[in-house]
Amino acid sequence: MLSNLHELKIMLNQQGLFFCFGGPISQELMVGIGDTLRNKMKFDDADSKTIVKVFSMFVEQSQNIIHYSAEKTPPGSEKAELSNGIIGVGYDNDYYYVSCGNMIHNEAVDSICEQLTRLQVMDRDELKRYYKERRRKDSHKDSKGAGLGFIELARKSVKPIEFNVQKVDENFSFFSLKTTI
Amino acid sequence: MENLNIKATKHTPEVTFDVDKHFLELKGECYPENITNFTIPIFKLLKVYLQHLEKQTFTVNVEFIYFNSSSSKMLLDLFDILDKEVVNYKKNIVVNWIYNVEDEDAEEYGEEFEEELESLTFNLVSKKYL
Repeated sequence: MLSNLHELKIMLNQQGLFFCFGGPISQELMVGIGDTLRNKMKFDDADSKTIVKVFSMFVEQSQNIIHYSAEKTPPGSEKAELSNGIIGVGYDNDYYYVSCGNMIHNEAVDSICEQLTRLQVMDRDELKRYYKERRRKDSHKDSKGAGLGFIELARKSVKPIEFNVQKVDENFSFFSLKTTI
Repeated sequence: MENLNIKATKHTPEVTFDVDKHFLELKGECYPENITNFTIPIFKLLKVYLQHLEKQTFTVNVEFIYFNSSSSKMLLDLFDILDKEVVNYKKNIVVNWIYNVEDEDAEEYGEEFEEELESLTFNLVSKKYL
């Protein structure tokens, strides 16, 4: 058990994380945090292009948690108001990064890993083609944007998306990813 | 047919749909949790409006600071509808994609929409923000 929040702060600072949130996340909360992040980066003299990129990754990743986290509040409810997850924004070795994590059902693991592995090896032009293909295919369905969000992240990230899946128990795994700007 | 005006919020754009002036503008941020719910009234009015549109030029301005990936699908749906009106009924429709001159991603998004369209006039308009 963490007895002192200062220890947590030191741990976050060591990772370069200047913002980190863990818990139930909502659209309203995300909008507020997004505003603060933009201000913070302005104070840091980040250029407007970088600010938009970091902000867009923050939104896509937060909405990914909101739509797809398997950990809901209240637990087990299908039409839950809140989705739980963790999201962080940091600056490390001259690059900004955005990282998120949430619980997923074990049945979803293979398809997520397959999608992200496929994106990792695509170059800029391939990502663009794939983005347009997926957008065209899904455009008339009432989708929450699954898949397209990952491609968007891959296109904006200067490095391939890093991701990790860790089995928690027979039902759930913890999924996390990181993008770099 | 009544005009549609929706005020901007931090995560949804200002919508001005003036049917008498043949003008639709979406301006601001666009990353709601559910884009479909947000755009229902716009698409509903658009459908009726397009049935009434004859020789006049319908101008559609889209000026987004940021839009999320599901809004990108919504935009493609919108442009597809307009494109079909031009292709099938020879309607006069002009879309202005207005973007920050310093944001090359926003310019690229515009180009990528343009590539998807057959006959719709789609102008990329760069704007300098202070």
